[in-house]
Amino acid sequence: MKRIWLENYRCFRDRQEARLAPLTLLVGDNSTGKTSFLAMIRALWDVACRDRVPDFKEQPYDLGSFDEIAHFRGGRGGRAESFEAGFEVVPSSKPACHWHVAFSRRGTVPLPAKRRISNKEQNSWIEHDLRSSKALVHTPMGQWESDIPLPDVQGGWLLSLLLVIDIEHMKKPDIQKLVRSLGAWSNSPPLYAGAPVRSKPHRTYDPSFATRDPQGDYVPMYLASQYFEGKKRWDQLREDLQRFGKDAGLFDEITVKPLGKQSGPFQLQIRRFDGRAKGPQRNLIDVGYGVSQVLPVVMELLRQDAPPTFLLQQPEVHLHPSAQAALGSLFCRIADWRRQIIVETHSDHLLDRVRMDVRDGAGALKPEDVSILYFERQSLSVRIHSLRIDQEGNVLDAPRGYRRFFMDEVRRSLWGQGAGD
Amino acid sequence: MCAIVDANVAREVFGPKPSPAGREFYEWVDKAPHGHLVVGGKLYKELKKGSPGFREWAKQAALAGLMTVFDEKKVDDRTDEIKRRGQYRSDDPHVLALAQVSRARLLFTNDELLGEDFGNKSLIDKPRGRVYHTRDIHVPNDNKEFSNAHRRLLNDKRLCRRER
Repeated sequence: MKRIWLENYRCFRDRQEARLAPLTLLVGDNSTGKTSFLAMIRALWDVACRDRVPDFKEQPYDLGSFDEIAHFRGGRGGRAESFEAGFEVVPSSKPACHWHVAFSRRGTVPLPAKRRISNKEQNSWIEHDLRSSKALVHTPMGQWESDIPLPDVQGGWLLSLLLVIDIEHMKKPDIQKLVRSLGAWSNSPPLYAGAPVRSKPHRTYDPSFATRDPQGDYVPMYLASQYFEGKKRWDQLREDLQRFGKDAGLFDEITVKPLGKQSGPFQLQIRRFDGRAKGPQRNLIDVGYGVSQVLPVVMELLRQDAPPTFLLQQPEVHLHPSAQAALGSLFCRIADWRRQIIVETHSDHLLDRVRMDVRDGAGALKPEDVSILYFERQSLSVRIHSLRIDQEGNVLDAPRGYRRFFMDEVRRSLWGQGAGD
Repeated sequence: MCAIVDANVAREVFGPKPSPAGREFYEWVDKAPHGHLVVGGKLYKELKKGSPGFREWAKQAALAGLMTVFDEKKVDDRTDEIKRRGQYRSDDPHVLALAQVSRARLLFTNDELLGEDFGNKSLIDKPRGRVYHTRDIHVPNDNKEFSNAHRRLLNDKRLCRRER
């Protein structure tokens, strides 16, 4: 996704547009809609690219019912009857296109009422009215409406369009492009949405399926499966994890310790090195909480079958500043358009490291590959500012309120309390 | 771009007891997007070395987008160019170079010769450079109050453009 917009959603009253990049950092005060923003990205992805009805209560984002999700203007303005959002996908192996989704109330639940895919130029589109099961197809040469015969099946939109668009229309390049886009983007893999608090470590794990979950409960199972099933894959993953562990000062070695045979329980152990001296193997539960909290995030980013987009909430929790900075470097190293990372963070250390790594060319990221989205509260609404960084790591386009608290703290540090009065 | 602070007045802006004019200058920079400080090359090093207050401010100002750091090599190369041409009288060609590279046209300095260079059309032009100072030629160190002349300089929008 390279651009997203939303309106009448949660704390966003007016239409807000944001630039997304391979690495996007969401910053701002508490309760300014950063998590809601992430939730909308997932919802859009579900409805547009997975042909799935989004669940706004699905973990890790529980936004509640329609009344909690539609923007409340206050007073006579009341609550919005619907909310809308959309995004533009970056041209890659799949065609560039725009998606737009309108949500309305069905009982207490918000459901997509309309979804539209349009070409890059936005002069041709296919719009699906989910309430009436009709499709409106528009091209510069005209438009027509058809019933969607298979509205409720997976991939039904695409299948139905192929049924309702007659052969004459299918010969038109505009329509061919749109249907190709639809085909390319439908059934995309799910995004990874990480929770702000990850699961507690255990001393011993019983093997089970490594099914992804936001808290990272599955992480030990996944590590064990890699350990038992393929030496090459395990070695690669382990090497990458250990590289991060060293950079972050958390651990030098990580290993899976089977307690008996392959199908039996196992433990996760880490150890530190001091030059040539190797410290004792220690159970994950016996070391600082930061290790077990960051492990799901790092492992998910490093696994070979990583999803195309990561939505992370405060991956820095429980980490020492140096480890927070190392996490920033990891993001800089692996983020690209095929592995887009969108991070909600309160970490200056992470942000500053990203800024410096881009300046110093430490990773592959270029200045245009980083977007800082500043969520600024304005009365009862929130405005999103898209900030950029340049070759020298300078932050550009910052509004006055950006990091006001920190500048006020500097003023106080220089001149004492009351200096700003 | 916006303004440059010379190392000889850093204490007036970022020191524990800023002068009234220095304090207003600080406030102006702090109120982005109106004010904005540019640094780079030798001057940046001088400021960091000579002013603990600047160091503290700069760390946060860089993150807040209140300060723009310019490429050291670009500034150094331009400094060499200015030195070759030799049209300046002060011993601060690096400050003039920073102004040329960054297009900053407001300079806070109490260095008289540098002030003259900054107003030299052949060195700083489009728009012409303006000097914000607290130097009084008749009563040394007695022009620290924030005057209308200071205010006019800070309100001059031609001197401060944010585009790059």
